[in-house]
Amino acid sequence: MSVTTGLIIGIVLFSVILIGILVARPAVTLSRGGKMLAFVALFILPIFSGLLGFASEMERSKTTAFCLSCHTMEAYGKSLYVDDPTHIPAAHYQNHRVPKDQACYSCHTQYAMFGTLRVKLYGLKHVLIYYLGKPPAPEDIKLYEPYNNRECLHCHAGARSFEEGAMHNADPATLPAIKSNQLSCLSCHDVAHDIAHLKDAKFWKGSVN
Amino acid sequence: MLSANLLEKRIQIAGLFLIAGLLVEALCLFWALPITFVVFTAAGGLLMFIGIAIFLYSLLSTN
Repeated sequence: MSVTTGLIIGIVLFSVILIGILVARPAVTLSRGGKMLAFVALFILPIFSGLLGFASEMERSKTTAFCLSCHTMEAYGKSLYVDDPTHIPAAHYQNHRVPKDQACYSCHTQYAMFGTLRVKLYGLKHVLIYYLGKPPAPEDIKLYEPYNNRECLHCHAGARSFEEGAMHNADPATLPAIKSNQLSCLSCHDVAHDIAHLKDAKFWKGSVN
Repeated sequence: MLSANLLEKRIQIAGLFLIAGLLVEALCLFWALPITFVVFTAAGGLLMFIGIAIFLYSLLSTN
């Protein structure tokens, strides 16, 4: 457990104790001091604790471990260790082009207004399907919409390797087409989570951390 | 005007809902799993919302 989580649990338990006192002795709220205590314990502290807890849950929901805790996602986690530089997610993960502890979220959020909220709502739907429905086989999972170049350009735009790349500049129309999402990055960099062929893949064993 | 007894009763009910909500929240923080995220927001959030709503209603009723 992290220090932050421990601190939040401490605040929550402190709130529970204060509220417990009010529940056991509600008559204290008749005095002026008691009313102030009730307002803090029954209004301010629960909201404060709730917001802190929610922020913590949101941060934890961005972690790689969180995404891979679902059995359906195990193959996707494994695909991050494929020993093939053309395998885009593996190359990003192994070379720290994305933070290792937020690997899924870094590429599968939407870098737009309310993008995080939108992907979290998708995640909520996934949880409901996982527990109450019939989850699809890992190789049958598809994106809701074609992968938007915006998610790649969030990091790559302005980078020398992208802006001056030979293939990106072979035709003067290519770079503007990529930047305007008319030409998908995946049309060339097309190996991403090749789950169907995972059993034949060679895996990188250089690091497990 | 609300009688002191009824006000105390409502504060106790609000407190019990809030304690339940806060305990759900605290428990959920022990695991980083998708199901705990859902329980945190749905069950914990709902219990705390009800508790706060009852408390605020009891405050308004006293005037």
